[in-house]
Amino acid sequence: MTSTELSAAEAAGPWVDTGTRPDARDKATGMTKYSADMPVPAGTLEAVLVRSPLPHAEITGIATAEALAVPGAVAVVTAADLPGGLAGRRVRDMPLLARTVARFAGEPVAAVLARSREAATATAALVDIDYRELPAITDPVAALDVASPLVHDAPWGYPGAVITEADGPNLQSVVTGGEPEAVSRALAAATTVVSATYRTPAGHQGYLEPQAWVAFPPENGTTRLWGTTKSPYRLRNQIAACLGQAPESIRVDPAPLGGDFGGKGGVYDASLCVALARLAGRPVRLVLRSEEDLVGTDARHPAVIRVTVGCDAEGRLAGLDFDAVFDGGAYASAKPTPPVNLHGAMDCALGYRLPCYTLRSRIAYTNTVPKGHMRSPGAPQAVFAVESALDELAAAAGINPVELRRRNLLDAGEPDAYGHVWAEARGRETLAAATRGAFCTGEDAPDPHTPSPQERGLAHGTGVAVYARPTPSPAPTSLMLTPLPGGMLEVGVPIPETGTGSHAMIRRQLAAELRLDPSEVVVRQLPTTALPGDPGVGASRVTVGLSRAVARLAEKWRASAHEGPVMVTLPASTEPPALTYCAQVARVAVDLETGQVRILELVSAVDVAEIVNPQAHQMQIDGGAVMGIGFACLEDLLEDDGQVLASNLGEFRLPAAPDIPVLRTVLVADGRGVGPANVKAIGELTNVPVAAAIANAVADATGTRVRELPITAERVYWAIDGRADDSPA
Amino acid sequence: MTVRLSLNGQPREVDVPATASLLDVIRDLGLTAAKAGCRIGVCGVCSVLVDGLPVSSCLYLAHCADGADVWTAEGIAKVRPEVVDAFVRCEGMQCGICTPGQVVAAVAARAELGPAADESQLREYLIGNLCRCTGYATILQAVKAAADGH
Amino acid sequence: MATEPAFVAPTTVQEALSAMQADGALAVGGGTSVGLLLGQSLIEPDVLVWLGRIPALRKITVDRGQLNAGAAVTLRELSWHPAVRSSLPALAGAAGIVGNPRIRAVATVGGAVAHADPRQDLPPVLVALDAAIEITGPAGTRAVPAADLATGPMETVLLPGELITTVRIPVVPSLRSVYLRFTPGSTADYPTVAAAAAASRDPDGTLASVRLALAAVGPTVLAVPEAAELAGQRAPSAAAVAEIADAAARRALPAGSRLGSARYVRAMAAVWARRALTDCLSR
Repeated sequence: MTSTELSAAEAAGPWVDTGTRPDARDKATGMTKYSADMPVPAGTLEAVLVRSPLPHAEITGIATAEALAVPGAVAVVTAADLPGGLAGRRVRDMPLLARTVARFAGEPVAAVLARSREAATATAALVDIDYRELPAITDPVAALDVASPLVHDAPWGYPGAVITEADGPNLQSVVTGGEPEAVSRALAAATTVVSATYRTPAGHQGYLEPQAWVAFPPENGTTRLWGTTKSPYRLRNQIAACLGQAPESIRVDPAPLGGDFGGKGGVYDASLCVALARLAGRPVRLVLRSEEDLVGTDARHPAVIRVTVGCDAEGRLAGLDFDAVFDGGAYASAKPTPPVNLHGAMDCALGYRLPCYTLRSRIAYTNTVPKGHMRSPGAPQAVFAVESALDELAAAAGINPVELRRRNLLDAGEPDAYGHVWAEARGRETLAAATRGAFCTGEDAPDPHTPSPQERGLAHGTGVAVYARPTPSPAPTSLMLTPLPGGMLEVGVPIPETGTGSHAMIRRQLAAELRLDPSEVVVRQLPTTALPGDPGVGASRVTVGLSRAVARLAEKWRASAHEGPVMVTLPASTEPPALTYCAQVARVAVDLETGQVRILELVSAVDVAEIVNPQAHQMQIDGGAVMGIGFACLEDLLEDDGQVLASNLGEFRLPAAPDIPVLRTVLVADGRGVGPANVKAIGELTNVPVAAAIANAVADATGTRVRELPITAERVYWAIDGRADDSPA
Repeated sequence: MTVRLSLNGQPREVDVPATASLLDVIRDLGLTAAKAGCRIGVCGVCSVLVDGLPVSSCLYLAHCADGADVWTAEGIAKVRPEVVDAFVRCEGMQCGICTPGQVVAAVAARAELGPAADESQLREYLIGNLCRCTGYATILQAVKAAADGH
Repeated sequence: MATEPAFVAPTTVQEALSAMQADGALAVGGGTSVGLLLGQSLIEPDVLVWLGRIPALRKITVDRGQLNAGAAVTLRELSWHPAVRSSLPALAGAAGIVGNPRIRAVATVGGAVAHADPRQDLPPVLVALDAAIEITGPAGTRAVPAADLATGPMETVLLPGELITTVRIPVVPSLRSVYLRFTPGSTADYPTVAAAAAASRDPDGTLASVRLALAAVGPTVLAVPEAAELAGQRAPSAAAVAEIADAAARRALPAGSRLGSARYVRAMAAVWARRALTDCLSR
């Protein structure tokens, strides 16, 4: 490409806008500004964090003279310079910078401020911190034992803590449920019972945009910031709580997100950036390196889950016992829900007809990276365990695993294990759609696969897994509609575009409601000062909640004089949630000589109602399935003795394009959704059953069961009968 | 030390240390489509074209670009609108953070593989352009459409 | 660093050698290794000597049964070159699979070889092809067999002030070469094990030479001299091939890593050595 080509080409070519996504053109032309791209005022200081190399250590001294001598260095900030507030989304247990003790390798101990990124990096390298190493506890099961070192001396004392002193050591939260006695009796009487322990590793949301924050010193009582948050109002409130000020005094400005998947709801880096700006009296920019995201932010909880399940002679489930220990890491601060636990675990007994269940989900403190939420938190781990166990039960009972599920998936109108009656329960249709889609025979039984010449020597197998989750009822939110000069309408929204197409959906729906062309509507995220509030992106609530609000906004606009801005604020709805199913079938070919698992095909059957944007909807299905494959087969942060060994994207491998097998989708249409848009959640669905489907397929192919993720070739290799004894030392 | 390069068709001159990366130079000039992601050449969000070749600008020494013809996604968008159109039409993005790199890859794929490249060749070509959102299907459609439509 | 590092872009080998005599001088091919090490603050060179502007180092020539690739030839150029594709397909294949298109567009043959990461794709192929690495220094030129270049992970026999200038590979019409790369996780990852095999035959079909080398099974690329035992045969039996593969596994010294435990890598060394040989001998 030369300069002469530029002028010729510039004169040519129309700009085509199909109007499907309002942000598409800016993204494709590189014009979209993310948090680290937005210009900052001259004089903005760059911040770099100095992190503890040890998982548990007393901080005995911080020497800064050599660091401060670096040209461009402005300050080395430690906990002593900052307010003593603790950060957290629910439990506030994390200091902005470690004070006297570092509790995980990667915990920020000092923050360097300098005039440039290079100067900040050079300065940070020279900050001299003395540590006295302390015994570290890194195994979550061992952490709950009274003999283990304590991560926190008195965690029940933290604001928002949900545990008490009597609950035992190193516990972030415990949720129990069900009827233990009934389950004991049921399993004792059952014809077939299996019990096994399943393990999943630490993972990460793997968004490609590292976390970034820009904060300004207070001006007229207001502190301004922008950064990588998916829930600006919650962030505002949490920063306010941490720093002891009124939420209205903090203004979070809009910024689009380069991927979230649950990982950008954290508060400590944002709170720290605000505190640094206040201290410095200058704007401060904190942009993490990608390794810092992997090592220091909101990883997915590793799990050790014991599942015991039994059935009668006809394969009807008699009872389920689910006992999980999750590794919550050094701080509980990243978990946002009231029980400070994981809904995926709490919902482990959902979707099937189950006379009784018991559930215990404990989250332990360990000296590792604090764990947070990732795309259907707790569910990928829980469903891997339960759906693997169901296949093991089927094998022990001599029943086809598809048939076992068919006999036990819930019907509408009957109570589930929790005693809840769902207006609609389409598990069996969804399962049938998946198996039909995979086997193309119209029947539920696996279609024998004839291997091609290249595939000879490979063992073929098929596995299924089913996942049920609620589509939540509409969440509280607010929207504003403003007429713009020139006739367009602007919808002001409280949440960023994280990539799911939420802004496009709003535009389309409002345009349809007001009988306008979508090009006449523009959607803009507003700063937190402009609207009352919204809980933020997540929990699959965006489409449902916003569609309800858009409908109300259109109503109010129609009734108004069309002259000035119109706002709607909606409380949480009382509409009941809808049960939503996803069934997947995985077909694999296993090289028995190496253990390598090739996924030939993954079929996802999805229980849907109305679909607002088919293209965006399909991308959630595909993107979710691919994330599920990553969880099942590839991703492991390799936490070892408190160190993250896979600390960059060259070691923590996300699925690349050639890794993707054939993905097929079967939509089970005409379901009953939630809200005026009549939708069912899709964002946290197809990533969940994948691991079990693949593990079940591998078991079908090889006769061996892998109970630990990721399903690597080496794990399969050693699991194959007799292998472990065979090799040279 | 001075580096003179052509950036999106415009002559630019910068004074940078020997160890500066091309990515830092581009971003300091206000062009933010190329981004800092993994910083080790595997994710693709820093992709640019240098003398027509796709390059990880996070690893490329700025001084190696002295005298070179460098194009970022912003510039490519102006001279190859059909590539942008392909991504918009196919909705080849979600969060968009990988999109500028995919646009660069689309142009590079067309140049290296030719217009008749099939889906599996294009899929292999994108091995270094990670996407966490889409599952790659719409990106591949866009890259294929961009290759065909040239 | 007391002073700011310098950057020089010589246009001849002589100029490059002069520049390399300075203290703390580091040769740069495409910059993918150097750029990465700089970005991670793992090196502090005083002079960066970029070889990309030296025409003499950017040529591929075929001459008297030998293919010569200049050290600054890129992997992309090597993989697309018609002579490489037709007579050394394993080399074209390996060069065409390294990393991703952006890496291959700028990474050089010399830089790849000098990097000496035991997991790299090119070294086992060069060993199987009996390549020689030509090194030029102030005292003159010397040739080192590809198998002898690396002495340990990221360590070579290169002395300070020396440059790799050419990679020379014998080309024989009967030569068949194969490179197999085992990436059981992401295909974008380093291999757990990789195996390169090459065989040439006499006019009557008897094997004249058989060479085998493995990557990712020890601190350096692993040459398996036992493969030569197959020479003189026409159609070695599966058992004979398996013996060579077992020899490869016995020679392997895997450290164990995220990509595979030592036991697993050793087992895979045998499997993939056998597969590479079998594939190569069947062509």
